[in-house]
Amino acid sequence: MTSSTFTDLDRRKRKTMMIGAAFALGSLGLGFASVPLYRVFCQVTGFNGTTQRADASAAVLPVSGRVLSIRFDANVSPGMPWEFYPEHSTDTVTVGARDMAIFVAKNLSDKPISGSAVFNVTPTQAGAYFTKIQCFCFTEQTLQPGQEVRMPVLYYVDPKILDDPDNKDVEEITLSYTFNPVEKVEE
Amino acid sequence: MNIIKSLVLAGLLAVAPSIAVSQGALAQEAAAPAAATVDSATEADANATEEAVAAPARMKPTEGIGMPRPAEFGLQEQFSPTGRQARWIHDALLLPIITVISLFVLALMLWIMVRYRRAANPVPSKTSHNTLIEIIWTVVPILILVVIAVPSIGLIAEQYKPAPKDALTVKVTGYQWYWGYEYPDQGISEYVSNILPPEKALENGEPNLLAVDNRLVLPAGRPVKLIITAADVIHSFAVPSLWFKMDAVPGRLNEKTVTIEKPGVYYGQCSELCGVKHGFMPIAIEALPPAEFDQWVLSQGGELAGEQAEAPAEAAAETADAAPAANAKI
Amino acid sequence: MTTIAADAHAHDHHDADHKPAFFARWFMSTNHKDIGTLYLIFAIIAGVIGGFISGLMRIELAEPGIQYLQTWAQIMDGPDATLDQAYHLWNVLITAHGLIMVFFMVMPAIIGGFGNWFVPIMIGAPDMAFPRMNNISFWLLIPAFMLLLGSTFVPGGLGNGAGTGWTVYAPLSTSGSPGPAVDMAILSLHIAGASSILGAINFITTIFNMRAPGMTLHKMPLFVWSVLVTAFLLLLALPVLAAAITMLLTDRNFGTVFYDGLRGGDPELYQHLFWFFGHPEVYIMILPGFGIVSQIVSTFSRKPVFGYLGMAYAMVAIGVVGFIVWAHHMFTTGMSVNVKMYFTAATMVIAVPTGVKIFSWIATMWGGSLSFKTPMVWALGFIFMFTVGGVTGVVLANGGVDDVLHDTYYVVAHFHYVLSLGAVFALFAGFYYWFPKMTGRMYSELLGQLHFWIFFIGVNVLFFPMHFVGLSGMPRRYPDYPEAFAYWNSIASQGYNILIIGVAIWFVNIFWSLFAGKKAEGNPWGEGATTLEWTLSSPPPYHQFETLPVIEDAHH
Repeated sequence: MTSSTFTDLDRRKRKTMMIGAAFALGSLGLGFASVPLYRVFCQVTGFNGTTQRADASAAVLPVSGRVLSIRFDANVSPGMPWEFYPEHSTDTVTVGARDMAIFVAKNLSDKPISGSAVFNVTPTQAGAYFTKIQCFCFTEQTLQPGQEVRMPVLYYVDPKILDDPDNKDVEEITLSYTFNPVEKVEE
Repeated sequence: MNIIKSLVLAGLLAVAPSIAVSQGALAQEAAAPAAATVDSATEADANATEEAVAAPARMKPTEGIGMPRPAEFGLQEQFSPTGRQARWIHDALLLPIITVISLFVLALMLWIMVRYRRAANPVPSKTSHNTLIEIIWTVVPILILVVIAVPSIGLIAEQYKPAPKDALTVKVTGYQWYWGYEYPDQGISEYVSNILPPEKALENGEPNLLAVDNRLVLPAGRPVKLIITAADVIHSFAVPSLWFKMDAVPGRLNEKTVTIEKPGVYYGQCSELCGVKHGFMPIAIEALPPAEFDQWVLSQGGELAGEQAEAPAEAAAETADAAPAANAKI
Repeated sequence: MTTIAADAHAHDHHDADHKPAFFARWFMSTNHKDIGTLYLIFAIIAGVIGGFISGLMRIELAEPGIQYLQTWAQIMDGPDATLDQAYHLWNVLITAHGLIMVFFMVMPAIIGGFGNWFVPIMIGAPDMAFPRMNNISFWLLIPAFMLLLGSTFVPGGLGNGAGTGWTVYAPLSTSGSPGPAVDMAILSLHIAGASSILGAINFITTIFNMRAPGMTLHKMPLFVWSVLVTAFLLLLALPVLAAAITMLLTDRNFGTVFYDGLRGGDPELYQHLFWFFGHPEVYIMILPGFGIVSQIVSTFSRKPVFGYLGMAYAMVAIGVVGFIVWAHHMFTTGMSVNVKMYFTAATMVIAVPTGVKIFSWIATMWGGSLSFKTPMVWALGFIFMFTVGGVTGVVLANGGVDDVLHDTYYVVAHFHYVLSLGAVFALFAGFYYWFPKMTGRMYSELLGQLHFWIFFIGVNVLFFPMHFVGLSGMPRRYPDYPEAFAYWNSIASQGYNILIIGVAIWFVNIFWSLFAGKKAEGNPWGEGATTLEWTLSSPPPYHQFETLPVIEDAHH
């Protein structure tokens, strides 16, 4: 083997290795990037029942006669001394019309506690059309000891749902919240 | 009239269940050992004096129904429409196809091993291509897969049919290591379902490791929408004889609809590894005829008129609540 | 073609080959054959441990009730171990069995062992592209394995060890498992993963740059093709796992909430990432097996592989499609209807290239002149057993049907048919096929055949009944089960007893053959063995191909 072919081979090997390493690093980056990508993907497509968000100026028109039932579900993460429940477990809403639901939260402990709520809707394919204008889940909530609050959710169901074959037979959409302490509760 | 009714319902929602249900749940188990006779059911009723309505007698499971059978080869008998459809796809379509394919491959191999053994065929051919046969064994599997895919996709569509209006909604929550069941429209707040110890299960005539103290009571013949979540780690709510399996994920709600065709007891087990007692948080569903289900709801301090109260409740909420609610936001 | 240096092995002890001394040769080895040997020995040790754990599980599952678990827990967790600690030990056992068999047995044996040994030789290269990186790849496995084994002795929740399942799903693996055991297991995966990524880069570089003159990509033996495809899968899939479990670690230790569904994360994201790695991982374990079986079937049929290009590109197709089907492992997580339909359809597509492979093996034998030496019977066993495992995979691919089968023993049966009867059969086939080449000794044909038949009966008795209990609903990862499942479980446990006799015979065969086996010729398999390793002596010289072989246009 002559030295010239040897170094030539070395160069080629190094190049392949670099490309291979770039693939691996790219893949690693993709693994981490999946966190924001997944979040964006869920928000855009309503994947996993991720709800949509609109500001108060959003202009949608009610579709008269098309009524859906909305069910409200409330959970508190284990160990959090809050009581949390919807004022009504179900409600009916005209598609496209704004509606408001009230959730009640009470701090049962003797310390102020901040909580934030995670949420999704089922059936999951309805997530792309369930739009919130105002929600207690957009920000953290702080309750003083023993304090009880009534918290509104202002929402509408996008009339586009009526054109989606996957949501053709949906009669009821369930909106579920789970409240969690912002600071980890000492157990 | 309706408004009054809804107010009453709201009142019940707030006060009644937490007290009544814990006793009702106890009563369910208390009634268990003597479930067979009507007499003892009333006896149990007498014990739970505060209840206006007696819970129906705890149903005895039928051997081999809603539970695995000893030395069984195949799927459990199905008691839901989608379950029967799915079982048909497996038993009448998939199983024959995969058996025939496996036997076909085996037969080819055995034939080759005899016909082309070295003693019988000392000089090998040099064939290494045959475009036609390669096309055939690519296209034929595709056709078989299409035959499978059509009913299979149809089954998925059927399983995902959203719950109809008259469906009963029950909330299922997975905990380490038991299940909680709540009937939001009936005002029955969450009760807990734990595994029965072996001697208790034996006493009840129920299969060990499948029997629970408080069963999930559902109506037969009426669609039931289960909304499922978990409090700590992922669990999975599974009942093989109803072709039902849905993960319970903390911080997230899942839903799945099932119609149980026949009254009976149907057993299942947690199907997602959830920690040390993963194997010891079984599921038992007691499907009752509609009238008995109503009786059970009342016996738990629940209300029957779930759906009718909705519309006025909404009206009330909007007029009375909207303004102060907005202020209440922090 | 054969016996280039027929007597080279006769002078093994004369250092004619410039072998380094013992310590330098085995601990600082940069020689691909020595590293391959180290990988094989490592895999055998890990396999014995993993197999011993499955023995523990089968004893416990032989009858309903908890018989032995608590006693073992007393050994692991101290004399006052509770029943809960016994249950925890069960979860540790299933976790360790899975991780060991996947990461420390199959992968090191099939890629590290046979890949290292034969890829360079088959393409006519003197060694791997980066011999020292190769050395690092192997030695990283040792601390990785030590971390995993060590994790069973430190707290991982209610008892010692990581009890999360090999999938390490959050939040059971985060908030659900306090203690350092899970951290150690995750770190172990990181290191094993790094080892495999380095190995993958090494294989890709070797195969792309070091082929002998005339060895075009389309002339490479199928085993080399299979390792090439596998290396790409490793390169693209493992970093995703690394990212996923890194976030598990930060969730566990640094307060991040990537997978915490209660704090704005999503546990399903972990599952997506895990299975984005996990499904290609399945092909990482089986593709090199496909390659081995192709070589063996061709050799013992004395025929070139039928449809060579179709075979090579079927593997490429399996590799590519393997990246877009992952969520069929998540059919019951509550995905929406379209997603489930897509993953059902996409998964079934994999059956097509897999079918091409099975039928091509059959066509290779068709018209051949078959001899049923031990490697061939293992390969034949592989083809049929893999078919059985493959068709149950088609059943599971149907999302609607999977609703009842998911997380039951049907799944356990399925993946043991493709791995324990697929990948492991391919490993044994390769082991017997190349044993004469690697050691210079012939194995005992009688013991080899006996090993095959006993093992074949054993694994089938062990795993076939699992289809039945799975269909009737027995969930996975349970230390105890209702009476109704007792019948098939007791039979399955008998299968383990049979299997273990087969493994014992294998060990007897190894030791007998190493010391008393007939000396092997360069090519003991005759005219069917056409790949380059059979042109060398057995064992090959320490440095082969100092003059590169030239590959001429032959068949295809």
